[in-house]
Amino acid sequence: MTQAAEHFTFDGHSVPLRAGQSLAAALTDAGLRRFRQTAKGAARGVFCGMGVCQDCLVTVDGVPNRRACMTAAAPGQQVLTQNPFPDLATAKVPLAAHPARVIAPDLLVVGGGAGGLSAAIAARAAGASVVILDERKVGGGQYFKQSAVSAPLDAQQAAGAELLAQALAAGAKLIGEVEIWGAFDGLLFLAEHKGAALVARPRAAIIATGAYERPEIRPGWTLPGVMTTGAAQTLWRSYRTLPGKRVAIVGSGPLNLQVGRELALGGAEVVMIAERGPAPWLRPLASAVLAFADPGLVLSGLRMLSDLRKRGAPVRHGTRLDRIDAEGSALRVTVTDGAKTTAVTADAVLMNAGFDPQNEILRLLGARANYDPAFGHLRVVRDERCATSVPGLYAVGDCAGLGGAPAAMAEGRIAGRAAAAELGFGDGYDVFADQRQLRRHRRFQRQLWALHDVAPRLPEVPDDTLICRCEEIDAGQIRQGLGERPGHAGTLKRATRVGMGRCQGRYCGLVAARLVAAATGMPVDERSYFAPRVPIKPVAISSILAAEEALKDGL
Amino acid sequence: MDSDLLVIGGGITGMMAALHLAEAGARVRIVDAGENAGTWANAGSLHVQMQSRFMRLYPDQVPAVEASLPLYKAAAEEWVRLDALYGPFELVRKGGLMLAEGAEQLRFLEGKARREEARGLSVEMLDRAALDGIAPWLGPQILGAELCRDEGKLNPLMANARLLAELDRRGVARVQDRIIGLEQQTNGLVAVGRAAVYRADQIIIASAWGAGDIVRGLGVDIPTKAEPLHMNITEAAAVSIGHLIQHAERSITLKQLGQGQIVIGGGWPAQDRGRETPPAVLAGSFLGNVALAARLVPQIGGLRVIRTWAGMNTTADGASTIGRLPQASRVVMALPGDAGYTLGPLVAKMAAAVTLGAMPEADMVRYTPARFAA
Ligand SMILES: Cc1cc2nc3c(=O)[nH]c(=O)nc-3n(C[C@H](O)[C@H](O)[C@H](O)COP(=O)(O)OP(=O)(O)OC[C@H]3O[C@@H](n4cnc5c(N)ncnc54)[C@H](O)[C@@H]3O)c2cc1C
Ligand SMILES: Cc1cc2nc3c(=O)[nH]c(=O)nc-3n(C[C@H](O)[C@H](O)[C@H](O)COP(=O)(O)OP(=O)(O)OC[C@H]3O[C@@H](n4cnc5c(N)ncnc54)[C@H](O)[C@@H]3O)c2cc1C
Ligand code: FES
Repeated sequence: MTQAAEHFTFDGHSVPLRAGQSLAAALTDAGLRRFRQTAKGAARGVFCGMGVCQDCLVTVDGVPNRRACMTAAAPGQQVLTQNPFPDLATAKVPLAAHPARVIAPDLLVVGGGAGGLSAAIAARAAGASVVILDERKVGGGQYFKQSAVSAPLDAQQAAGAELLAQALAAGAKLIGEVEIWGAFDGLLFLAEHKGAALVARPRAAIIATGAYERPEIRPGWTLPGVMTTGAAQTLWRSYRTLPGKRVAIVGSGPLNLQVGRELALGGAEVVMIAERGPAPWLRPLASAVLAFADPGLVLSGLRMLSDLRKRGAPVRHGTRLDRIDAEGSALRVTVTDGAKTTAVTADAVLMNAGFDPQNEILRLLGARANYDPAFGHLRVVRDERCATSVPGLYAVGDCAGLGGAPAAMAEGRIAGRAAAAELGFGDGYDVFADQRQLRRHRRFQRQLWALHDVAPRLPEVPDDTLICRCEEIDAGQIRQGLGERPGHAGTLKRATRVGMGRCQGRYCGLVAARLVAAATGMPVDERSYFAPRVPIKPVAISSILAAEEALKDGL
Repeated sequence: MDSDLLVIGGGITGMMAALHLAEAGARVRIVDAGENAGTWANAGSLHVQMQSRFMRLYPDQVPAVEASLPLYKAAAEEWVRLDALYGPFELVRKGGLMLAEGAEQLRFLEGKARREEARGLSVEMLDRAALDGIAPWLGPQILGAELCRDEGKLNPLMANARLLAELDRRGVARVQDRIIGLEQQTNGLVAVGRAAVYRADQIIIASAWGAGDIVRGLGVDIPTKAEPLHMNITEAAAVSIGHLIQHAERSITLKQLGQGQIVIGGGWPAQDRGRETPPAVLAGSFLGNVALAARLVPQIGGLRVIRTWAGMNTTADGASTIGRLPQASRVVMALPGDAGYTLGPLVAKMAAAVTLGAMPEADMVRYTPARFAA
């Protein structure tokens, strides 16, 4: 680890930072985890680590409501705990780093992860001009998550660095720290870039915005120190920050095991991994099928388990989170296997109970989708070229429904070529090998997830457990709202305010749709969710003003 | 299906009409299509002074609006009564400020204020120094404003939820169905829905943009028109904006809710996607509306917009339509017209009185549906 040379202040106290770190990482390194105060006086900190949950808000140099996980730490910054009601008279208006800018590439790729980078490379090879926009400063997306503070950590990061380099060498333009917040018919995208407006009018677009994590909604899931597994992974892989000394991991799926191992290797004490799914040796058939689909990956999975065991990290199968309680400055984590409960003490609790697609842009533009009951989320309808039901709009990777990084890359190559061909570049052929790989990756994914338990769930929690993090709406209020008039998730929202906060129902909205379906007996479909609306992420009024000035004459 | 009284449309007007009728002891049923009610999209501004947006867009309707000014004032007072009875709805009545940025706009407001005063509104012109005392957060270009003390704001989600609960308590039945038309049958008048036929002694039509189509078959041509509009809301800030803010020339309403969020709207168009799907937000409206708000109140520049939504407003000829149809005397119209959420409860009360035979219709000639005889 490099020496900390510089400092910023948090509520007046000096906090060291390492070059490249996010504010969230530097604060976590310093043992600080309470970033904002809610309207009801509760403390919150990093949760999603990827700009979605809006719980890590802090005031930075007078500008309120900045996401600590998406904001770079800089020497001399004055950072304050975010008060829920900033004073308008003193709140600073964020300054734009540069004037508004309008781009019009042949192809716009939204998201620079496995899928987006692969798409950009393929489309560039065919001759289309390509711009990739990504909200993170560190490229590569979730799977190839790059380090912001050091050289690649392992083969996975090295492969990501290679893919990024390939995209740039091919002539794709990658603009980071760009948050797309609006998408409109005729393919108009509005975004914020370092406080300034960015407007894109491409001829075609490939959406590759990936997924976000599904939490375990249980008592205590909003406490500071409780975060998604991916948030901890980003802290470690991008910023070399451990989420805490003692770590407990709950939920289901391969990411939990992988991150548990990475953190253990990095020096954390992994006190427990609770996996909902039964032990693989209790399901020999499923394991054998998986081995058949991809023996290499099964081996690495088994190595993961044995590595974890070697480091004394107990993996409990068939076990789920019951509750989390604050215990001094630590967290007490209670899990149950149905028969008996066990409690451990940890500094950080990581949770991942599956993934949900970041499909907001696709839904906004009207792309059709079907509900996948096995994963409990929408799958965007696509043809064999990854084209959606909207002309000129393609979707690749996890944003169209969970598929994993290898599938995202194959889809990216297919969509990149197809979109370029549609615009008159190349012939769009030569997809046979990619299609075959894609089928294999998809088969593997199905079998992989059959070993875990990511079934969509209704929250079986006490009345006082929060369901909506932002508006602090608990299960009791939601049950009451459902009892009065079940109708639709939107009706429940208006009756209870569930989903009305800054994250726009990313977590509670999915639960609301499920609850309404259960109460009305209507199956979940694409219309069951809250209506998609701009902005898909909160956007600074100053940036809207700049976009309006840039477009005044040409909208 | 039989009931004494049938109310078509379950927005604020239909709900309040049903409530009054149920209170009078009638058996009431509401049939509502469950689509695009302005009531579930509206911003809860209690409008009383003439809206400049409206005066500009529909100059031919201005005389009708001006004549209705006392109705708006009484409507705001009706909301105060409901707030005490069924609330609280976070109702605040600090008044509305209509801002002027130039001398000509100031003159326009002065003229408007005189006309409104003559109709009994409590208005006053404020210069910049006076504004600094009550609204120091206004942009430096604002020269003055008209203050209308009758105006206010409330939280419509709260009000709607409370009123729905009140309907449940009174046993008002609510059915989801779309009425296609009214038919004269041998044993009386029925409303024909997609799912069922509804028979009633009297039918109250409070279906806003859907009203014109329902009565057309009876030979009445009420020009109700669906007008898709959108709204924006920010994250919360400490409450410092007490007034309802409007502009002398441009389309804007801005106010702060009791929970601190700032609601920005004012009638910017949304994209119509048919009656069964909510309208979509247009890029130009979103940028234009929020940018205008940021110019008038620069201090909100540090906040973020977290959501927009769009819904259906209803326009007709500028005045409310209240009363029995001359062509079918057992049909009572209850259409508020512009600023319909403000007017809805009062219009509903008047329509309920007509239905129950308690109000001499002569008082209401201005609002009679007879003016639309085809
Ligand atoms: C937190 C997390 C951690 C994961 N870790 C692993 C792992 O370790 N191993 C593994 O096998 N799988 C992991 N996965 C699953 C894996 O990420 C995916 O299968 C794979 O990355 C999918 O590639 P993609 O291109 O679809 O999306 P991603 O790689 O997620 O790329 C999406 C990109 O889009 C950007 N983006 C999203 N929305 C916007 C917007 N509005 N404006 C601008 N940019 C936007 C994001 O910043 C991101 O860079 C993880 C998933 C998540 C959510
Ligand atoms: C975005 C927006 C903001 C607004 N802000 C304000 C404001 O701040 N202040 C204000 O005073 N006004 C405001 N308005 C206007 C106000 O919302 C409406 O005028 C008011 O809600 C009308 O109430 P209503 O009950 O008459 O009709 P609506 O609330 O529109 O309800 C009509 C109902 O009739 C139903 N219906 C229609 N046709 C049929 C049929 N054939 N069969 C069965 N049912 C049918 C509909 O489904 C709907 O539920 C706003 C409007 C919009 C769209
Ligand atoms: S932790 Fe920063 S937005 Fe979720």
